[in-house]
Amino acid sequence: MFNLPTESIGGRELFVLEFGDIVNYFSPYTAALFAFALIFTALAIVSRPERQVDIAFGGDAYYAKEVDVDLLRFQRFMAIACGLATLGAMVSGDVFNFTLFASLVGITNIGIVAAYRNRHVLNAAFQYGIVAMLATVPLFGGAAIILSSTGTLSMWELFTDGVVVPIIAKVFLVIGVMGEGMAPFYVAKAEITRAQGAPFILMVHVSSLLLFLRVIEIAISM
Amino acid sequence: MIPYLLFATFIGLLFHGIHRKVIARIQGRPGPPIWQEILHTLKFSFKETWIPKTASQILFVAVVFVAIGIWSGALYVLLSGGSLLLLFGVYLLHKIVEHGMGLSSGSPYGKFGAIRSVISAASELPLFVTVIAIYLFTHSLSIADIVAYQEVYGPLLIAAFPAAVAMYLIILSKMHYGPFSIIEAKEIVSGNMTEHFGVWRAGLEVGYALKTYVLLYAFVLLFIGQLPLALMLLVMLLVLISLSFVCAITPMLSPYDTVTVQSLVTGALVIYIVILVVTMG
Repeated sequence: MFNLPTESIGGRELFVLEFGDIVNYFSPYTAALFAFALIFTALAIVSRPERQVDIAFGGDAYYAKEVDVDLLRFQRFMAIACGLATLGAMVSGDVFNFTLFASLVGITNIGIVAAYRNRHVLNAAFQYGIVAMLATVPLFGGAAIILSSTGTLSMWELFTDGVVVPIIAKVFLVIGVMGEGMAPFYVAKAEITRAQGAPFILMVHVSSLLLFLRVIEIAISM
Repeated sequence: MIPYLLFATFIGLLFHGIHRKVIARIQGRPGPPIWQEILHTLKFSFKETWIPKTASQILFVAVVFVAIGIWSGALYVLLSGGSLLLLFGVYLLHKIVEHGMGLSSGSPYGKFGAIRSVISAASELPLFVTVIAIYLFTHSLSIADIVAYQEVYGPLLIAAFPAAVAMYLIILSKMHYGPFSIIEAKEIVSGNMTEHFGVWRAGLEVGYALKTYVLLYAFVLLFIGQLPLALMLLVMLLVLISLSFVCAITPMLSPYDTVTVQSLVTGALVIYIVILVVTMG
């Protein structure tokens, strides 16, 4: 046991997973987020996409879109990669690893969306890509400020009372994560639901919300 | 825990019925009996059940279990005095249920509900502000610590009134027939729930009943404190009736107006938090 110093925030430490000097941890909070990411990654693996029904305007006609197998395979691959990155971000005990996982989530999210060959969807993916790329500046900038001001990126150290993290670094981290995948940051994201593949598109939202929940825990704990 | 889950489901469904009754009486209609939602859930449990041919079948079914699972977990967190952050997490993850439910069917109505669910993500932000405000007062996010704090210093309803208003708005945004219920508006049939019938709908009703119970319970627990069960249920009922009044006299907003109102409230609360941070050091 490493005695997680923030028991009053995410609950007491349940289990730690050491990779050298990087120590990932499971508290009730991070374990719950991890479990949720795991469930939706499993769903992305075993689910087939829906056949979207579109209404033909001007009459009573409607048609169901076919499932493109190649598209399905690529989106599923990206959704699984996104799920794995999310799993890593949920239990990471190191700020730099967390930012890396967050940016990987951003990249895989673009992949899930950009796979669909539709003008509106590709436009949304392009805008999403720009926001995600721009967001890496505050994301990694926040981590850099933390390192330069405290000398460590280990959450085990940063969460202790003796270490003071500048508020601007926390704000940068939160903005960075919001840019990597937080829905309110770009309403254009609604356009991506024109794309088929509910289990994979849903992974975009799952990863975004889970990243946001994790960064809030990190920002409050530091 | 299981008997309490059944009790919470029963009370939640009863509250949904009371909500409909109060709205109807305010609007000059007789309204359904208060046990109507319980009967609905029982009826759906025994109706013919199917999965649409166009649906993503596993996801279509899985979201129902996820809805019940997350709110059962939230109830456990609340009763065991766990982390408020987990409750905040469950509330955000409910968005995934709403979104997945709409997308998985392939129906255009479900899809519109799912899109509205995404653009109304602003409704989650006031809860985040509530969490921070509570933390600034209590220096803990453990629900047990927050309850203990109120036993010593009095209800947070007085000390952190704007945060209580934010939490009230959050519950309002999840109430049926409310000004923010755009994802299940009638112009898109039943929105994201359009294609979920039979047992799946019964399961969703159970999940939503638990959600109503948990949110009302959390409001009373976080801003008034721990009360004996009977008194707790009475206060929850009073909060519910006040919400029903708001729902009855407020028209449903358009999707973008919903986001605007919620964003403005969040902005005001952020200012409140900044003032709190400055004054409390």
